[in-house]
Amino acid sequence: MRAPMRGGRGGGGFSGGRGGGFSGGRDGGGRGGGRGRGGFSGGRGGEMSRGGGRSGGRGGGRGRGAGGRGGRGGGMKGGSKVVVEPHRHEGVFIAKGKEDALCTKNMVPGEAVYNEKRVSVQNEDGTKVEYRVWNPFRSKLAAAVLGGVDNIWMKPGSKVLYLGAASGTTVSHVSDLVGPTGCVYAVEFSHRSGRDLVNMAKKRTNVIPIIEDARHPAKYRMLVGMVDVIFSDVAQPDQARILALNASYFLKSGGYFVISIKANCIDSTVPAEAVFASEVKKLQAEQFKPMEQVTLEPFERDHACVVGAYRVPKKQKPAA
Amino acid sequence: MPEDKKIIGLSWEPKLPSFLFGTKSVSDDKSQNKSENSLIYKPNSELIDGLFVPPNDPKKLNKLLKKQIKDTTGKSWFDMPAPTLTPELKKDLQLIKLRNVIDPKRHYKKGDSKLNSFPKYFQVGTVVEPVSEYFTSRLTKRERKATLADELLSDQSLKVYRKRKVREIEEKSQPGGVDKWKIKGKSSWKRAKQRRH
Repeated sequence: MRAPMRGGRGGGGFSGGRGGGFSGGRDGGGRGGGRGRGGFSGGRGGEMSRGGGRSGGRGGGRGRGAGGRGGRGGGMKGGSKVVVEPHRHEGVFIAKGKEDALCTKNMVPGEAVYNEKRVSVQNEDGTKVEYRVWNPFRSKLAAAVLGGVDNIWMKPGSKVLYLGAASGTTVSHVSDLVGPTGCVYAVEFSHRSGRDLVNMAKKRTNVIPIIEDARHPAKYRMLVGMVDVIFSDVAQPDQARILALNASYFLKSGGYFVISIKANCIDSTVPAEAVFASEVKKLQAEQFKPMEQVTLEPFERDHACVVGAYRVPKKQKPAA
Repeated sequence: MPEDKKIIGLSWEPKLPSFLFGTKSVSDDKSQNKSENSLIYKPNSELIDGLFVPPNDPKKLNKLLKKQIKDTTGKSWFDMPAPTLTPELKKDLQLIKLRNVIDPKRHYKKGDSKLNSFPKYFQVGTVVEPVSEYFTSRLTKRERKATLADELLSDQSLKVYRKRKVREIEEKSQPGGVDKWKIKGKSSWKRAKQRRH
């Protein structure tokens, strides 16, 4: 089945304007169907073209020639050599070759979650390690990392509540990032994408899938412990309220939140910047302290990612 | 037996411990053993009964333990090891730094510009393509190479550009003028002509 292509911006690719590579968005047709990303009220527009990723994306609607992936043949072909280095953010890596790619260390070596590329490494002592390429066109968190966000507050060992998990593509990378000592609670309302999420979680011991409405955290309060970070990607008009509700239940004071805001989903009549500003205002009213905002511009249109802290303890005045 | 040996007195004769007990005095035996030990092997830390016993001093012990731990990034990057920097690895890392000149149509973020500073922690890996990209994004067995440098050299599409650039640079760095105009030596045709007039 062919997922409907999103129009507008041709996935021009990372290799054009910005740094290294990624030859992005082409595989699997960007984010699959419809950009509905409804998650909470009735599923996604179309089904992600899993499995038959080839039929979904390439060429097709975007009018690319049939000559391989993308115009230039792509630098990261299977079998080519790359150098993997640690990224500035903990738990994240960069693979450098003819192109650059963001990577996370695969918790389940030998398995790809959504038909992404992998990098297998043989260590000097004979052990094998595997990394999975993290596509910023499919993951807002990866887009934020490449957009230069100062800190994502997720690192090996931290506990993350992920709202709007969808089919679990980004969740799988977050699960890689926090490693076996961390934990990811992935909340998704749609059963259809929740099915993929559960299948992914079967192989990853640190992912706990929750098929439930994020508007009612009381329904899954017995499954989730206190968390260090909440990542919210729900694209709902009341997403600030949803985040605040969940934070009041599960986020430790002094914890952090990362929220991706899609301007069109909140108010499509006003310019994107105004929407972002109003959302930040709403967050500030709910005991959040937004610290930075990055636009996901080359990868997503009219999206912003806001990072901040929750219930920051007040600085005590030094006793004179 | 021992008496016989002494009579012969060959210096190169191997000093095997005698199987006959009681023929020699105890003190004599000990001194011989000591000298043998010092001749054969002198380890830094004492081997006791042929076994390694860690030093008692905690300072020394800590030093020894630190030496044995392999250098890694620590748990924030899942203990990525620091590999030994071989010349091939060095070349590959330098190539990555210079990759912006390899292909004129590819643009990169400006990275670390120093050619001789290498990252401490890194790993060299091979890209594994997903099954769905078997026909579109895969190098054949013949196209696969052991290092990044080999891979770039074997890329035919960039060969023309590379050669052209090399020729341009060579031309530019050559001294100017035309060969014909130069006066080569005293006895050349031009000098001869000058002399005639």
